[in-house]
Parts: sequence; structure tokens; C-alpha cells
Amino acid sequence: MLEQLLLILPMAITVIGAFFLMLLSWNKRFTLKDYNLVAVFFLMLSFIVEFPQLSNTEIIYIFPEVFGTMYIIDNFSTLFDLMFTAGAILTLLINTDYFKSRNYFNGEYFALVLFSVFGMMTLAHSNELVTAFIALEIASLSVYALAGYHKNNRLSTEAMLKYMILGSMTGAFFILGTALIYGAVGSTTLGDIALFIKSASDSESLLVITGGTFILVTILFKIGAVPFHSWVVDVYHGAPFPVTMFMASTFKIALFAIALRLYLVDFAPINVIWSELLQVITVLTLIGGSWLAISQDNLKRMLAGSSIVHSGYMLIAISSIGLGSQEAAPAIMFYLMSYFLSSVGAFGILSFIASRSNKALTFKDFKGFSQRRPYLAAMMAIFMLSLSGFPSTIGFLGKFYIFTSAIESGQILLAGLGILTAFISVYYYFKLIAMMYFYPTDEPQKKFPMDLSGVLIGLMAVLVIWGGIGTGLIPFIPGADGFIDIAKQAVLSLQ
Amino acid sequence: MEIGLSHYLVLSTILFAIGLIGVMRRKNLLLLFFATEILLNSVNVAFAAISHYHGDLTGQMFAFFVIAIAASEVAVGLGLLIVWYKRTGKIDLDMMTTMRG
Repeated sequence: MLEQLLLILPMAITVIGAFFLMLLSWNKRFTLKDYNLVAVFFLMLSFIVEFPQLSNTEIIYIFPEVFGTMYIIDNFSTLFDLMFTAGAILTLLINTDYFKSRNYFNGEYFALVLFSVFGMMTLAHSNELVTAFIALEIASLSVYALAGYHKNNRLSTEAMLKYMILGSMTGAFFILGTALIYGAVGSTTLGDIALFIKSASDSESLLVITGGTFILVTILFKIGAVPFHSWVVDVYHGAPFPVTMFMASTFKIALFAIALRLYLVDFAPINVIWSELLQVITVLTLIGGSWLAISQDNLKRMLAGSSIVHSGYMLIAISSIGLGSQEAAPAIMFYLMSYFLSSVGAFGILSFIASRSNKALTFKDFKGFSQRRPYLAAMMAIFMLSLSGFPSTIGFLGKFYIFTSAIESGQILLAGLGILTAFISVYYYFKLIAMMYFYPTDEPQKKFPMDLSGVLIGLMAVLVIWGGIGTGLIPFIPGADGFIDIAKQAVLSLQ
Repeated sequence: MEIGLSHYLVLSTILFAIGLIGVMRRKNLLLLFFATEILLNSVNVAFAAISHYHGDLTGQMFAFFVIAIAASEVAVGLGLLIVWYKRTGKIDLDMMTTMRG
């Protein structure tokens, strides 16, 4: 009993923290900084409690006499939990300046972030389709509210309405798929579904396949794959910077957590059926995302477009899993990690600049940036190199693992297309680097901001480089190899 | 005529289709939220019918969870609708053209 409570403590701490912040925000005495610190404190506590569980390799069901096998704790979910809490902590701390510079943030904002993290954690732990749906909705509803947080801004409200209407429509597809699977199998637990599929004939499992396709539609919508991408650029543009950062990195990790669990456990025997569908969607996502990213002038919109392309790379690995690649699932987790580091860094610099001026950031605003702020410009260059997959950064290793898995499973053409879009992406990422370094500026040089945001962004830039070249450079300190081993172990715990 | 599982499933499918068409065709935001409610509740019909068919109560329990989720979704949506109405004086979808992605 007590051991079980200890195991769910990380999630409990997050949700208690959320309620605590809601109560706290009723009192007008506290400043935004206090709320931020309280939120980070709870997330940090959750992270510290969760961390020792990573060495725990067995599969535990929480309170089996009450919940059955709905709620699972294994290495996979623990690793994803740690990524969510770390992501939320970094997002909150990097944006300290941004919160101060805008007057519309208040205590409830931080409560919503914590609620959303709680939903994502439950999503990673759910071993049952309805639990997964509820968790997905907890996370999504909080993110809808966060996206529209700037109530008096037309863009923000519009972004939220678009996201919310389309999101609740595709959410209905998830629950419809669940109903179909429940009708065929008589249970919605992932293990039962896998058992049913193994023993059922083709005509019997037709309903399960239809249901699975509906669930796939929801997941593809939420990660912004191309036929369902119409909201991505607008929502990323309209939402406040901290929220865009949170959606692009942490929320996307959560969706891949459920996608991987469904794909590796639930539908494992019939993965091949979806491979062709996924290949078509991957091709569309890579090409469409590149087109969207090239045609943007606003940097926030450019990063939104490129985030679609990055989803495309991870979709390559998802269809590789179906075709029997063993390396693909750890490759996705590594890619999520590398994309998280580089995109949070890039968004962090943008939000840092936005907190000191009020205009929309376009490519032109970065002319001569290297003379005004040499250190920030160098970091931005590092993040851009990593996003485009330049060797010696962590982004290169991420892409390397993905393409290896694609070639391993025989999808040579898809790997080729991936490499081609990586070359295309060099255009829009290097455009920013060229703007920063090859144009003069009249404005005087400013000092490097030695505050929390600046130091954290610097730390992430170091991590990006470290992940790229630090493998085995210094003995006894794990580099990027360490993470891919942990990811492999976590994926093994699923099977 | 005996009313069986398939009749309920057909009803649920028809309702789902109505909801889907509603989301796509409606311009009024309030009616859009109605349509998403129809989508979720059509699934509830399916859950209840399948639960009766299998003779196991979990399906009806799921229907309650879905009702709760539908309610919270509308709560968030209506809150936003009020903000939007205060700003623009209209609840029309055609107003949302500031950004074209």
C-alpha cells in the first residue's frame, strides 16, 4: 500500500501543486515571481521523487484491486515523466523575464501548466484507452486555455478558438475508435486488445483496425502531421511565447509517449497494416512542412512550420517500427530529446528578445544581431545548426538514428526524402544565421544578461554541443550514448 | 422487429455524421460547440449499447466519463466565447481571419 503510494507520489505532487497554486492565486499579495518559484518547486520535487524509480525495471500496476491494469508504472513511463517535468521546469524558468514584461499572466497560469503536466504524466502511465482519452483531454484542455491566455489579444483568442474546435472534433475520433475496439474486444485494456488481435481472424479484427485508424487520426492531428496541420502555424503564432514553447516541446513528447505505447504494445501484431498509410502521411508531412516553413517571414511561424517537418522525421521512425526495426523506438525518444533541447533554446532566445520589445520578430529584426548581442547570437546559431541537423550537434545524432532505423527496415526512399528535406531546412535555418552575421548594425553592443534565463539558455547550448560531440570524449561522464541506452532499456520494458 | 445492437450502432453512426457535418458547415460558434457535443454523445450511445450487448457495465461507466469530459470542454469553450463576444460583438466564425496559415 505504502509502496504504491510512493510510486504515484510524483503525479500526486504535481496535481497537489496545481491546486495549491489555484488557492494561492486568490491572494493578491504574491507576485508572479513567487508563483513561478512555487510551480518550479513542486515540479522539481516531483522530478526528484521520480528519479530513483528509473532503476526500477519491473512492471507495476497501481492498486490492482481497484483499477485493474489501467494504470501502469514501468521504465518507459518513468522516463517520459522525467522528460515532462524537466521540460516544464525549463519552460517556466527560461520565461521568467517574459512573465514580468507582460501584464496578463497571473497565478492560474502556473496552475494550468501543472495540470497539463499532470495530464501528460497520466497519459504516459495509462494502459487503457479510456484512461488515455481522459488524460489526453486533461492535458489538451489546459493547453487550450493556455493558448488563449492573452485574453485581450485578438490573435491569442483566435488561436485558441481554432485549436479548441478542431481539437475537440478530433478528440471525438479517439473516443469513437475506443468504442469500436470495445465493441469488438469487450475490453479496452491494451494487453487484452493485443491478445484478441493475436487470436482473431482477419474479419474479426476489422473493427479493431478501424478503431485503431480513428485513434491514429487523433494522434496525427495533435502532432500536426500534414493533412491535419492547418491549425499548427496559426496556433503557434497566436499563443504567448511560453505556451508555444510548451506545446512545441513538452506536449509533443507526451503525444509520442502514447503513440509509442499503442503502437508497440496494443497493435503490435497488425502494425504492418498502417505502414503504407503512415508512409504517405510522412511524405506529405515532410514536403508540406518544408513548404510552410520556407514561406514564412515571422520567426515564430517559421519555427512552427519546421516543427511539422520534425514530426515528419519521427513519423518515419514510427512506420519503421511497423516494418520490424528494433532501433526505431529508441531513435524516436532520442530525437524527441534532441528536438526538445534545440527548440526550447531557440524559442527561449526569441522570448528573451520579445520580453524587451513588443514587436513581432521577423528575419529582418535579426540583422546585425551578432554585433548587438554576440553571445546570444552564437547560441542561436548553435540551436539553428542543431535543428537543421548539422554534424557535431545533438540534432545530427537524432537524425542519424532515425535514418538508420528507416534504412534498417528497408524504407530507403523515405530515408532519402528525409535527407532531402534536411537539406531544404538548411535554407530557412541558415537564413537566420546569415541575417545575424552578415549585416552591419548601428545599435551599440549590449552586455550579456547574466540572469537566470540567459544562463539556462547558455546551458542548453552547451548540452546541444555536448550531445553531439561529447560521446566518450571524457571517460566516466555519459554523453548522448547514455541516453540512447536508457531509451533502449525503457522500450524493452514495454515488450 | 427486435431492436438489436446494430440498430444502436447505426443510430450512433448517424449522430456522429450529423455532428461532423455540423462542425464543418456551421458558421456560428455556439452551434459549433453543439456539434462537438453531438459527436461525443453519439459515442455515448454506442458505449451504452455495446455494454448491454457484452453484459458488462464498464461501457456505461465510460459513458459517464465522456459526459464529464464533454461538459468540461464546453465550459472552457463557452468561457472563451464570452471573451470573444465582448471584444467583437459577434460569434461568427468568419470573423477569425486575422491569421491565415
